[in-house]
Amino acid sequence: MERQWGMVIDLDRCTGCEACVVACHAENNIATVGEDGAARGRAMHWIQVQRYWEGEFPDVRLKYQPVLCQQCGDAPCESVCPVYATYHNPDGLNAQVYNRCIGTRYCANACPYNARVFNFYNPVWDKPLGLQLNPDVSVRSVGIMEKCTFCIQRVKKAEVQAQESKQPIKDGEVKPACVQSCPAKAMVFGDLNDPKSKVSQLARSNRATRLLEEVGARPNVIYLRSVS
Amino acid sequence: MAGPSVEQVNQEILRPLVRTSWRYYLTAGILGSIVLAAFFAFLYQVNSGIGVSGLDRPVFWGFYITNFVFWIGISHAGTLISAILRLTHAGWRRPVTRCAEAITVFALMIGASFPIIHLGRPYLFFWLLPYPSVRGIWPNFHSPLLWDAFAITTYLTGSTIFLYLPTIPDFALVRDKARGRRKKIYHVLSLGWKGTPRQWHRLEMAMRIMAVVILPVAVSVHTIVSWDFAMPPVPMWHSTAFGPYFVAGAIFSGIAALIIAMALLRKAFHLEQYLTPFHFDKLGKLLLLMSLVWGYFIVAERMTVWYGNESSEMAVYSSSAQGQFTHLFWIMVFCNLLIPFFILSIKNFRTITGTVIASITVVIGMWLERFLIIVPSLERKYLPFTWGAYRPSWVEITITAGTFAAMALLYMIFSKLVPIISVWELKLGLRQEGQSPRSALAPAKPSPIIAQPGLAAPGE
Amino acid sequence: MDRRSFLKISAVGSATAALDACGKPEHQLIRFIPEEDLIPGIASWKPGVCTRCPAGCGIQVRVMQGEAEVTRDGKLGLISMGLAKKIEGNPEHPVNRGKLCAWGQAGLQVTYNPDRIRFPLKRSGPRGSGEYQMISWEEAVTELVSHLSAAGSAGRPSPVAFLTQRLRDHRGMLIEKFLDALGAPPAVHFEFFEQTVLRRANELSFGHYQMPTFDLANADYVISFGADFLGTWNSPVSQNFAYGELRQGRPELRGRFVQVEARMSQTGANADEWVYAKPGTEGMLALGLAHVMIAEKLRPRESASAMGRLIHGWTEGLQDYTPDKVAGPTGVESARIQRLARDIAAHTPAVAMIGGAPLALTNGLDNALAVNALNALLGSVGKPGGIFFTPQPLLEGLPSLKEGSSVRALSEGILKGSSQVKVLMLFNANPVFASPSAWRVQEAFEKVPFIASFGSFVDETSILSDLILPDHSYLESWVDNIPESGTLLSVASLAAPPMAPLHHTRAMPDVLLDAAHRLGGDVAKAMPWKTYSDVLQAAFEPLAHRNGSISAKTDDDFWSATQRDGGWWSSETKASPAAPGANRPHAQVKITEAKFDGDETEYPFHFLPYASQQFGDGTHANLPWMQEMSDVISTAMWCTWVEVNPQTAGRLGIQQGDLIEVASPHGKLQAPAILSRGIAPDVVAMPIGQGHEQFGRYASGRGVNPIKILAPREEPETGELAWAATRVKIRPAGGKGKLILLAGSEREWPGKSQQR
Ligand SMILES: Nc1nc2c(c(=O)[nH]1)N[C@H]1C(S)=C(S)[C@@H](COP(=O)(O)OP(=O)(O)OC[C@H]3O[C@@H](n4cnc5c(=O)[nH]c(N)nc54)[C@H](O)[C@@H]3O)O[C@H]1N2
Ligand SMILES: Nc1nc2c(c(=O)[nH]1)N[C@H]1C(S)=C(S)[C@@H](COP(=O)(O)OP(=O)(O)OC[C@H]3O[C@@H](n4cnc5c(=O)[nH]c(N)nc54)[C@H](O)[C@@H]3O)O[C@H]1N2
Ligand code: SF4
Ligand code: SF4
Ligand code: SF4
Ligand code: SF4
Ligand code: SF4
Repeated sequence: MERQWGMVIDLDRCTGCEACVVACHAENNIATVGEDGAARGRAMHWIQVQRYWEGEFPDVRLKYQPVLCQQCGDAPCESVCPVYATYHNPDGLNAQVYNRCIGTRYCANACPYNARVFNFYNPVWDKPLGLQLNPDVSVRSVGIMEKCTFCIQRVKKAEVQAQESKQPIKDGEVKPACVQSCPAKAMVFGDLNDPKSKVSQLARSNRATRLLEEVGARPNVIYLRSVS
Repeated sequence: MAGPSVEQVNQEILRPLVRTSWRYYLTAGILGSIVLAAFFAFLYQVNSGIGVSGLDRPVFWGFYITNFVFWIGISHAGTLISAILRLTHAGWRRPVTRCAEAITVFALMIGASFPIIHLGRPYLFFWLLPYPSVRGIWPNFHSPLLWDAFAITTYLTGSTIFLYLPTIPDFALVRDKARGRRKKIYHVLSLGWKGTPRQWHRLEMAMRIMAVVILPVAVSVHTIVSWDFAMPPVPMWHSTAFGPYFVAGAIFSGIAALIIAMALLRKAFHLEQYLTPFHFDKLGKLLLLMSLVWGYFIVAERMTVWYGNESSEMAVYSSSAQGQFTHLFWIMVFCNLLIPFFILSIKNFRTITGTVIASITVVIGMWLERFLIIVPSLERKYLPFTWGAYRPSWVEITITAGTFAAMALLYMIFSKLVPIISVWELKLGLRQEGQSPRSALAPAKPSPIIAQPGLAAPGE
Repeated sequence: MDRRSFLKISAVGSATAALDACGKPEHQLIRFIPEEDLIPGIASWKPGVCTRCPAGCGIQVRVMQGEAEVTRDGKLGLISMGLAKKIEGNPEHPVNRGKLCAWGQAGLQVTYNPDRIRFPLKRSGPRGSGEYQMISWEEAVTELVSHLSAAGSAGRPSPVAFLTQRLRDHRGMLIEKFLDALGAPPAVHFEFFEQTVLRRANELSFGHYQMPTFDLANADYVISFGADFLGTWNSPVSQNFAYGELRQGRPELRGRFVQVEARMSQTGANADEWVYAKPGTEGMLALGLAHVMIAEKLRPRESASAMGRLIHGWTEGLQDYTPDKVAGPTGVESARIQRLARDIAAHTPAVAMIGGAPLALTNGLDNALAVNALNALLGSVGKPGGIFFTPQPLLEGLPSLKEGSSVRALSEGILKGSSQVKVLMLFNANPVFASPSAWRVQEAFEKVPFIASFGSFVDETSILSDLILPDHSYLESWVDNIPESGTLLSVASLAAPPMAPLHHTRAMPDVLLDAAHRLGGDVAKAMPWKTYSDVLQAAFEPLAHRNGSISAKTDDDFWSATQRDGGWWSSETKASPAAPGANRPHAQVKITEAKFDGDETEYPFHFLPYASQQFGDGTHANLPWMQEMSDVISTAMWCTWVEVNPQTAGRLGIQQGDLIEVASPHGKLQAPAILSRGIAPDVVAMPIGQGHEQFGRYASGRGVNPIKILAPREEPETGELAWAATRVKIRPAGGKGKLILLAGSEREWPGKSQQR
């Protein structure tokens, strides 16, 4: 049975701490755009901890919702890409081939979740900040689209090891950087096609929802509603 | 007053090809420098990155794609209109067809450049084209952008031929009149036209076929352009009405552009006798019709959204209903609907000046329409946390200005190389209908497009 | 334009491109022989300790071979070396169980920070000018030693002062021994968010001068008075971890959580119920709850025992704290107080915590004692789901948390001339930035003849130094740490350097040892070790014989095993507080009224500076990742702001992004306004951490520093700064400020374009 990588985010656990955000930057060589870039709305977070106010003082609440690429089953971003720079890989991941991207930005418009970010300029790392770069992840240059990859480099590593050792990938063995770091253990990653995996068990919870389900992109990120 | 004689026609219409005033050079110089500025702006963007534009997350498309849709729309002036007029044997078409067809070709060239200008990596534009690459990778035929590539190239080829065919006899005419190097050039261009009955017959056949073929192509082009927006699930893009809506809008803006072009030519080259109030009146009526059609579509589109009251769509709707785009929206409605209706529905206002004013507002209004289709949806797409805003940068503005200058410049150059009015068709009209230009422009009797064989080639 | 001129242009373009390509040093640098043998592409994970906040989480560092530009004996060149590529939590570590917070994740940017000091520096320009010249370590240490010996011969106590962050490791011990041998007073500790008040309260209530640990994972009900325990307070990662379990760790039980505060923190945002109580009345509210429980016999008064008896009127059933009496001052309706009290009492185990602003008041200690008493009444002390104290492994010579005097005393002494300071040593403490102007720290330090700094960065304090002896980063050094809280186990973290030093730096403890040997005499005798690792090996030895995570035959095995695991932790899991009463008996406490600086009519707003998720006390402001991580409440990036309640703003005609002036009796500042629904109408709040004048390229000259307008109020018994006791007035200052938000729905047109 083919794998379908997926993620569950328990909004009742998530405290909005944003450790996932920085973990993703560190793991995936995401450039910082600086004051001006940020002011122009060009910050490159692959995962955003979105937050929404409810009510007015003093009966006020704040809801956090980390939003990353939902790795859609029917990804609107894929069909519109004229050069197959973004496509569906055999593990059901929405993959991004940086070298092929010519920067039409059509995919980003088609993405209902605005999960995609674009290199409006060449990234800069003031020396020696460049030494922090993860050699497993290629650095993107100007004019290229990028987004959360479910840390595909970690997935691939596990798959290669599994092939070599002839051992199947154990549930929970692959941990994207955000999942690994999440202090509240709000994020769970695994194979949704494996009914025994933690992620698919949680996905069957009665708290399970998907973001903008009505759009019909069949996301593979499942949110568990916060109870209160 | 008596209409022009055959000799007059030769002289007056060919005059621009031989005589060039200082005004011409001045205007060309000004336009040229604007085009140049736009070109440097583009080089600057390529060099420093698309970041020099005002684009951001989530508004990834702005002025450039607006211009793309706008110019492709304008291109529907010519070929489509002249094809319709030819097929319906509208006699008054004769002085109009060529400048119309020319608009198409140039507008397409300009419009087609924007999908390249707006790329993050424009130097790789050729990956959009299906060619056997060393990597054995073909483009994605699911992508509307690829359909664009096909549709536009087809339309460009088609309309170039459509422009070229009826020009052959006129090239021949110029060839016969010119001498020296010019003679050689026009000799080549006229493909050895002798005006023999066989050649006339062939030309007639070819033009019949082209006129029929070009119509569906023209319609398909803007339908496909509309699909760039209608296909992805973006609020207020994702609409079935977009196909016909865009085609109607295209013809609408096309006619307006044509009227403006004609008025300018008329002034610049003193073609008062050929481009008469009568033409502007007819085109004015056509413009009025399209204005109403456009109005119907905009009402239909917004009505359904408003009535449906679907939250993600209402978010976009409200930004032009009572949000940051309200002003632009009403300016658009005034330019496209109210002003044209007021001017064009009143006979006394349907003068040359009147139609031109209406046309100018329509061109402005239709550019705004493209902008208001593209940007508001991107600014407020689904999750409010990700909403954003867009302001164009000087680079985008310069390049946009450059395209209008380019259009005018190309047109000026064209009018220097090719008789801007189809000489032979006009003469034919005159022959068939006797001397009165008035009647020469009345609907021709359902006779073949070209007079019976045996008629000598015009111009000798 | 014709084709040729086009080619010319593009040719120019590519030519310049080619030029700066050759201009890149990589293309000219010499290549040093690698000092370590590494296989390219093969990653190794090395244990470490996070020092980015006092919590002391265990980390593991992903080290991979790579190319680094380094200086080796004066020559600049390329070397192939092991480089830290990613920091993750150490899954075995009892405090953070493999998890990290945002600060921990961003640690790489400390080591690779472009503004790190790369070699020893001697001041070459006037003080504060930041003009330094590079010198050798030999020169640097000689310079330090000459000043120290000069001071040493100046009689007792010798005029030497050492100012450092509070160290929970053996560097602290070395510093104390060093100062002691020099005959100098003990080190001065400085942290803006020092926890003295709560430690003192816990000592009085529970006999532990220590930060508490909460067993949230097993609690059924949690009420927190101002403690941002999911954000920056105490031991955030362990508390986030436990919080996750509190909510969804148990199949049939979802723990409830109520937050009491005046401005919604990240923690408050996660509460089931958010209660606004007037600043300074938290203790009163706690006693109000206690009163209801006692009065309605939901809990026996006696169960609070001594912790209750500390509170005036407890034995009489807290008659002064009936809901009706409390409702007025706290601003919480009496009905709600009763409901909350019954709610809490109905859920066992229930636990109360207090931290942050309620402690930073003139009545901070009273508030803490009240909440401690409430805990005792709830029976949560030392019980599952309750409050605990992390047992401290008895390690040789560790300085107790009590030691050391305050920066305020130091600068006062210097300014008054009452305390002689000829040599001042600085380590990771920046009081010039993080103390009220009224303390006049800069003025005082400028009077000190010789200042040496061990810090890695030039900041507002270390720029006053005459000599800089740059420390390694924590990824390049031997690090040990004794967590004060965050676990029920007794933990001693330890790590060898995950990577070799990138720059020409030296570990502070090694420099101290070197200096000590050069000074000779008592000092040398007092510090017999050669290197800091020797210190640690000796210090950890006793643990080899206690039963814990490591069972090793020989001491050497134990030593290597400790490095392998990233530390040692005991195996016994529980630690209940010792008998209360502590050392000296304490008079009964009557909850005093909080006194605020600034007249209420002239300064109508409570001013609430808070520890920013991005920058903490300002320490993290020089990391691009932290500047660009959006604030958890405002979603702001790369800027500072003032949080104002929308009603208040409407009243004063203030709109989102408007520049407003915040004035206290001690100064004023300007920052853009954020209209925040999560703040009381009579409170304005500002994040701490921006407004650096001197802290590298990413932090300097960005935003404003709210600490500068704070009143020098104190909690009387501990003398700790009451940083939440200032009142301010606000007014529109005209125009828009630079406000950069990630939240798009709040990027209102044309607000965003104005930010450009
Ligand atoms: N400076 C530098 N030079 C190097 C190396 C290096 O690391 N740095 N690495 C060396 C090594 S190991 C290798 S393998 C070579 C690799 O050198 P290249 O073969 O050049 O590899 P890339 O640069 O990855 O890809 C070449 C170009 O193919 C484009 N491309 C991607 N998809 C398509 C497509 O569908 N059609 C077409 N036509 N082009 C496409 C990419 O965008 C890129 O511009 O470079 C060698 N040279
Ligand atoms: N997205 C994306 N990813 C890519 C590519 C792409 O085009 N796009 N390109 C892929 C391709 S084609 C390749 S080949 C890889 C290249 O990727 P790598 O080969 O992993 O990267 P390099 O930095 O070229 O080489 C690895 C290390 O070898 C070290 N080294 C240099 N000389 C020596 C030596 O003499 N001995 C030893 N022991 N080490 C030495 C260098 O210092 C460097 O640190 O990247 C692949 N990754
Ligand atoms: S790290 Fe976990 S808890 Fe923190 S914001 Fe991300 S998902 Fe939420
Ligand atoms: S979330 Fe957006 S980018 Fe990710 S797969 Fe879905 S459509 Fe594509
Ligand atoms: S931006 Fe890149 S990935 Fe997105 S559609 Fe265009 S080419 Fe494809
Ligand atoms: S899965 Fe990986 S890439 Fe995606 S958000 Fe998490 S860390 Fe970033
Ligand atoms: S809480 Fe964060 S900063 Fe503090 S030690 Fe743990 S990981 Fe480091």
